[in-house]
Amino acid sequence: MTTPFPDQVASADGPGGHLGGEVLAAYATNRLDEVAAWSVEAHVTTCSACRVALRAFVDRDRLARNRSVLLAAAAVGEPGPARRLLSRVGVPEHLLGLLAATPSLRRSWLLSVLGVLAVVAGESVLANHLWNRGSGSTWGVLVPFLLVGPLLVLGGVALAFLPLFDPSHQLAAAAPFPGVNLLLARAVSALLAALLPVAVAAFFVPGPGWLPAAMLLPCLAVWCVALAAVTVVGATAAAVVSAATWVLPVIVVAASHPALAVVRWHAQVAWAALAAAAAVVAFVRRDRFEMGWTR
Amino acid sequence: MDEMTTDVDLAVRVEGLSRRYGPVRALDDVEMGMGRGITGLLGPNGAGKTTLLSILATINQPDAGRVSVFGLDPADTAQRVEIRRRLGFLPQELGFHRHFTVAGFLDYVAILKEIVDRRRRAEEVARVLAAVGLQGMAGRRIRALSGGMRQRLGIAQALLGDPDLLLLDEPTAGLDPEQQLRFRELLSNLPGDPTIVLSTHQVDDVSAICSHVVVLLAGKVRFTGTPAELADTAAGHVWTSHQRDPHALLSWRGGDNRWRHLGERPPAGVEVTAATVDEGYLLLSHTVDNPSTTRGWRRVGRRDR
Repeated sequence: MTTPFPDQVASADGPGGHLGGEVLAAYATNRLDEVAAWSVEAHVTTCSACRVALRAFVDRDRLARNRSVLLAAAAVGEPGPARRLLSRVGVPEHLLGLLAATPSLRRSWLLSVLGVLAVVAGESVLANHLWNRGSGSTWGVLVPFLLVGPLLVLGGVALAFLPLFDPSHQLAAAAPFPGVNLLLARAVSALLAALLPVAVAAFFVPGPGWLPAAMLLPCLAVWCVALAAVTVVGATAAAVVSAATWVLPVIVVAASHPALAVVRWHAQVAWAALAAAAAVVAFVRRDRFEMGWTR
Repeated sequence: MDEMTTDVDLAVRVEGLSRRYGPVRALDDVEMGMGRGITGLLGPNGAGKTTLLSILATINQPDAGRVSVFGLDPADTAQRVEIRRRLGFLPQELGFHRHFTVAGFLDYVAILKEIVDRRRRAEEVARVLAAVGLQGMAGRRIRALSGGMRQRLGIAQALLGDPDLLLLDEPTAGLDPEQQLRFRELLSNLPGDPTIVLSTHQVDDVSAICSHVVVLLAGKVRFTGTPAELADTAAGHVWTSHQRDPHALLSWRGGDNRWRHLGERPPAGVEVTAATVDEGYLLLSHTVDNPSTTRGWRRVGRRDR
């Protein structure tokens, strides 16, 4: 052998500078340490006689299994840049896998983002039209936007859980992976996807510059109420309750105050309190985030 | 029924289980026990089989009664999770994300089953793919699979994690005869002797591989016992002749050109022959549908095993 093999390998040399049977057998059954294994691999790469000799020691079943594992891993695919980045900042790999592998979410994301953009764009056109005509209260034209903004975000979250968009939802329900973790992971993903275009598009709607930011807390509150409500009542009733939590105050406030009062700073305190209370309820009752079980 | 099986050995025990959907009583005071081996849950569509399996799979909740799986109570949150860790479930109508690859789908289900290590997931995916004969399909999109392949993929996902309890709802639907035989071979060779509950309306499956059978009709357990005991329920009710018998419940002509009859009472002078499992099941179903017949309810064997 011409290469400086480690002791474990060199001491077991066969005749003519080739690897001995003992070393080949140890390599084939994965009993060599990492460095020695590398040395064997470096040698067999250039030595056809040892490659042929190695075949006699290979466990073909194990080889076939390993090949199947590699093919399965390749078919699952390598994580993309975003997933690698999130993994580096500490998000568990399997959680990212769950999100990336949930096409229902992709569809919900797309639907919620497109829906939000369509509504905001439509409202923008309507608001500009009314603004130019100078009709009625300037801020009044924003009421439709106020009404649907947080609800669209909620809709995006809800869509992710509809059996219509998650055809294998029964498997998730019967699996030990905590339902609350799955729900939160998906909800956060849908929220992030929907909130960004809302925030960006809102700048094109007539109104104060702080409005997009002011919408975030009500969005969070409505989402938390939905999460809390679904631990007490069914999903449909929870959606109605959470929607009412937003729609009723908007309508009541718009009837007697400037429309934007519902998102001004004193209202923000109320939304924050509501979000906190609902989050506490959702957390305390987190074991109820399951299909078919008593709320 | 295995005489050596005791209550302690029961993997699944169901007591007084009832479940309604509006006015429909899907399960009515169901009592049964299931030990190791393969139990066939036999009944027509709408008999309550899927409801019962969904309750055992912990995704549905009974209105009344108790369920125990490996001594664990699914009504308790922590114990329910523990049951799920030991469970493999194939729903009757398993939908797929059609743009998933076969391996991607199994990887997704493996994560749901708390297999968090990526390498171990790949090993599990490869193992179950080989078990159902789909190892060459790992990278194939699900939308490109045939119905039979999708059914095998559904079975593969249920095998992830080597479950102790396997609940299979109509697993052979959509499989061709060869695949059905391979499926039987697969179930017979599963490691660890898991408890398998096979819901089906195909009597062939039950006759071929089940050590026990439970017949569920209109939400009630009408029979528990072995397939041979189910066949015995029709003993003396099957006869053959050279012509159709108008008094029989069912008559059909066999390949040997003789008529085979199933009925309440064979006429005098005919050749009474041994009954099959199908005939035992048919007679039982007819008796339930027509409770006014003199034969009345028939139940063979113990309620639990």
